[in-house]
Amino acid sequence: MSSPNRISGGIKFELAISYLLAAGVVSSLILVAAGILLFYFQFGNLAISEKKVMFLQEKNFFYFLYDLFRDGPSHGFSLWVMTLGIAVLILTPYARVLLSVLHFIREKDFKFSAITLFVLVILTLSLAAH
Amino acid sequence: MLSMVSLLFLSIPVGFLGALTGLGGASILIPILVFLGIPVKEAIACGMASIIATSSGSASSYVREKIANVRVAMFLEMFTTIGAIAGATITTLISPTLLYFFFAAFLATSFLKSKRTVSESPPSSEWPDRMSRWLNLQGSYFDEVYQRRIDYKVTHPLWGGGGMLLAGLAAGMLGIGAGAFKVTVQENILKLPPKVSSTTSNFIIGMTALAGTSVYLYSGLLNLTLMGPMAVGTTLGAVLGGRVLNKMRNRTLRMLFIFIVAFLILQMVYKGVSSL
Repeated sequence: MSSPNRISGGIKFELAISYLLAAGVVSSLILVAAGILLFYFQFGNLAISEKKVMFLQEKNFFYFLYDLFRDGPSHGFSLWVMTLGIAVLILTPYARVLLSVLHFIREKDFKFSAITLFVLVILTLSLAAH
Repeated sequence: MLSMVSLLFLSIPVGFLGALTGLGGASILIPILVFLGIPVKEAIACGMASIIATSSGSASSYVREKIANVRVAMFLEMFTTIGAIAGATITTLISPTLLYFFFAAFLATSFLKSKRTVSESPPSSEWPDRMSRWLNLQGSYFDEVYQRRIDYKVTHPLWGGGGMLLAGLAAGMLGIGAGAFKVTVQENILKLPPKVSSTTSNFIIGMTALAGTSVYLYSGLLNLTLMGPMAVGTTLGAVLGGRVLNKMRNRTLRMLFIFIVAFLILQMVYKGVSSL
């Protein structure tokens, strides 16, 4: 099933990406699901709410992460757990680009180092500098 | 009123169909949410965030099975991320009524384009141009229907990139990943085989969705009680869909795709007209 024209480093890299994505998504969804369950115990219902505290808003994602840990569950533990899950979700593809940049630099594939670095810079700017 | 539990269970079959067709769960779920009375911009923002999970979840298995072309994906992500940031920014600024029509119109274009390619296409083998060779974009995968390894070449990556800029713009604007459009670009311009195309588009969508979500985070449109159940449900469904994708015929996938897109267009046009 594996193709002979692919070097083993490439296959290892694809496996690493695959596991990174799976780990990120699974841990994030477990947190979100746990948050939903905790929400029920905290609020006594599972209604979709339009209250202001249900909305995430932050100018800079990296500050948002910092605040998440510094302030702790200020609006209740369930919302904090769900927010943490969403933060892990946002970090998953971000970590994937970071891993790709490192991989291509290590493989001395400069074309793809530049391509993935470009994507990383764009995403970092959009997450941080809005 | 919709509860988180009912939304979760609604999202599972939606995610399943989204993965099979390459549309992504959100493009099916957003019209349904709008129908159920959720504000369209909020549905779009939460759809965008849940797509990160759907796409990354199913991309994980496609990459492991070596169907998706990771190099092509990473090249095209340069274009989709920029498009998505621009698109999401536009959505935060324009009237919601316009969004219903954009949604329908965008889906309509992908429907017309893919109608022409309904056939049990034997995977093509185009001659790669200089740029594709320079970027080493060609690939191969094992097709379970044909029971053999399919080698394929890639052409016109820059034109494909231009198409992806538009795809990213629409994705960011409508919160949908724009899988249909990406698949069309990849099959018609880059000449990827259908299965490689839909799995590669899945991979790219995660990054596009992250770019769009970064804008929606800033605009305060991300509702935890909405995107939480959406993300969990559509991803569960997408993982199930990914399990059966490589066992299905290209023609079957295509017919399913056309049927669902037609349905979604009708729903959004109806909503747009009734909100005038």
